Amino acid sequence: MKKRITLKAVTTEAKLLLIGIPLLIWTMIPIYHMFLFAISPRDSATSGRLWPDAPTLKNFEVVFLEKHHYLNHFWLQMWNSLIIAVAVGVITLFVATAAAFAISRLRVRGGRTVMNLALFTYFIPAAFLAVPMYKTMGNYGLLGSQWSLILAMVTIASPYCIWVLKQASDKLPYELDEAAMMDGASPLQLFRLVYLPLMVPSLVAVGTYALLLAWNEYLYAFLLLSNDRSVTLGVALGSFLSADDSPWELLMATGLIYALPPAAIYYTFKRYMVSGLTAGAVKS
Amino acid sequence: MASVSFSNIEKSFGKFKIIHGISFDISDGEFVVLVGPSGCGKSTLLRMLAGLEEISGGEISIDGVVVNDLDSKDRDIAMVFQSYALYPHMTVGENMAFSMKLRKADGALIEKRVADAAHVLNLDALLDRYPRELSGGQRQRVAMGRAIVRDPKVFLFDEPLSNLDAKLRVAMRAEIKALHQRLKTTTVYVTHDQIEAMTMADRIVVMHDGIIEQIGTPLELFDRPKNLFVAQFIGSPSMNVLQGTLRRGDGQCWVEAEGHRWPAGALSQTADGQRVHYGVRPGDLRLSTSGEGIPARVIVVEPTGAETELLLQVGESRVIVVMHGRTGVQPDDIVKLEIDPLKAHIFDEASSHRLN
Repeated sequence: MKKRITLKAVTTEAKLLLIGIPLLIWTMIPIYHMFLFAISPRDSATSGRLWPDAPTLKNFEVVFLEKHHYLNHFWLQMWNSLIIAVAVGVITLFVATAAAFAISRLRVRGGRTVMNLALFTYFIPAAFLAVPMYKTMGNYGLLGSQWSLILAMVTIASPYCIWVLKQASDKLPYELDEAAMMDGASPLQLFRLVYLPLMVPSLVAVGTYALLLAWNEYLYAFLLLSNDRSVTLGVALGSFLSADDSPWELLMATGLIYALPPAAIYYTFKRYMVSGLTAGAVKS
Repeated sequence: MASVSFSNIEKSFGKFKIIHGISFDISDGEFVVLVGPSGCGKSTLLRMLAGLEEISGGEISIDGVVVNDLDSKDRDIAMVFQSYALYPHMTVGENMAFSMKLRKADGALIEKRVADAAHVLNLDALLDRYPRELSGGQRQRVAMGRAIVRDPKVFLFDEPLSNLDAKLRVAMRAEIKALHQRLKTTTVYVTHDQIEAMTMADRIVVMHDGIIEQIGTPLELFDRPKNLFVAQFIGSPSMNVLQGTLRRGDGQCWVEAEGHRWPAGALSQTADGQRVHYGVRPGDLRLSTSGEGIPARVIVVEPTGAETELLLQVGESRVIVVMHGRTGVQPDDIVKLEIDPLKAHIFDEASSHRLN
């Protein structure tokens, strides 16, 4: 079928463009500057031009080969970030799925109250909880261990993840559980063979959310980890600013690299993210 | 195959008691339909038998074994849900095999049973499809397949046809009936549709507000309803009911209603002047050719082809007549009604119980 071009369609399109283009520029400018810094030689990095006279990939070489004292542990710190993010994703997923299944499907007494209490913790900004969390981790002797950061991030991510998964699992018809029960499934078999397969989109969304939250975390990572060899790359980037003559071009090159995995993850799972995070948001 | 027995079953949700001490037995191989208006407790009763709902009081036994405290899976029953409840991530074959796999049955046996069931239900070509790729009727058949694969003691159906369109419903009705005649498994079937109940049941249990109004074969319920509720619930179009006063004389009884004498045959145990409901089925009313009878004004004529339905006005009441064949009667004509006194149903006005 040939698409008919009507005046109404054109004006709608124009309006969208009018909003869309400024929005795109607005969001792209900081990223463009980051990119500009990353490909500029040191002396011209702050020149203010829209394109460097002599673009270079030298900065990336310095980063990858750890040829600057700020970057001595680049690969190790990248690995730290990765392992912590993945651990947070996996543990949060486990906690949240089990909780949502118990609350929504097994209808455990008081389950909703527990979930609401967990959500209630969001009334207190995470930054305020940083010091109590530091104290708690100290009590358990976990300070400096990456476990402290992993557990803290799981704590922060879980309530939201439980809520999203609970909403999503509420949408699964309860007759499926009853049918499975009559077919002879135990609660664990129901969980494994019926519930999990049907929850995959939401699980991907929630897991990705927790993973990215941990990957991007600065405050808690800065507070709970102190050793150069155990900190995440995000914290290491912050330390670039401790000297007067910060190597901006290296900071931006590293930052750009640091931003790539989340972008890759996001685009891989975008399909699930959109349907998963909004699932349960509206009554359909 | 098994017998089922309900003994003084009660169910309360919080303070609300919705089933008030129900007792009846279902014999081995019988097809019993629980029917009643929504909210009468029929689905709850079925779900208690299935083990999906706690039993507040009384005992349910299957084959003489009290199952109150048994889990669903240990009761050896299979259920077909109104929404089919097929597992969306499994193929038709996997859906049907699921229960046997959970029971760790032998692979070859599972395959054979699934193939047999698929053959019976005409699903052979669909075994590799997913539920979302099937039509409503096919999904319904898969749901039945899932139930019969396991060869359970009792089949339960919870309004299985209400999501289908009218034509398919009639076809599936016949299929379920044929399946039962073939497998002879004890079946309990819940519906709010009295036609389904009439056409499929060996015996019907009519429920209303958490009690049993009457139990009987379809024709027993149709011919001799025990009370006004059953009389009006069973049959389509439903029974004409007029309020009136019973009169006796010359060894005959009649009911005075809407200013006319409605023949009631010989009635014992009734008093002259008793207030009653006079019921007569639309198919039992005839248009008189002799000029005698109760006069009525025609309001609407509805020809359906094989039958003609007339809506008539008698005094303040509306009466429906179903005639075989066709008629030249027009709206606003005055017709005369003839009634066989043996076809009249008389109910006490106070208690609603049958008097004849």
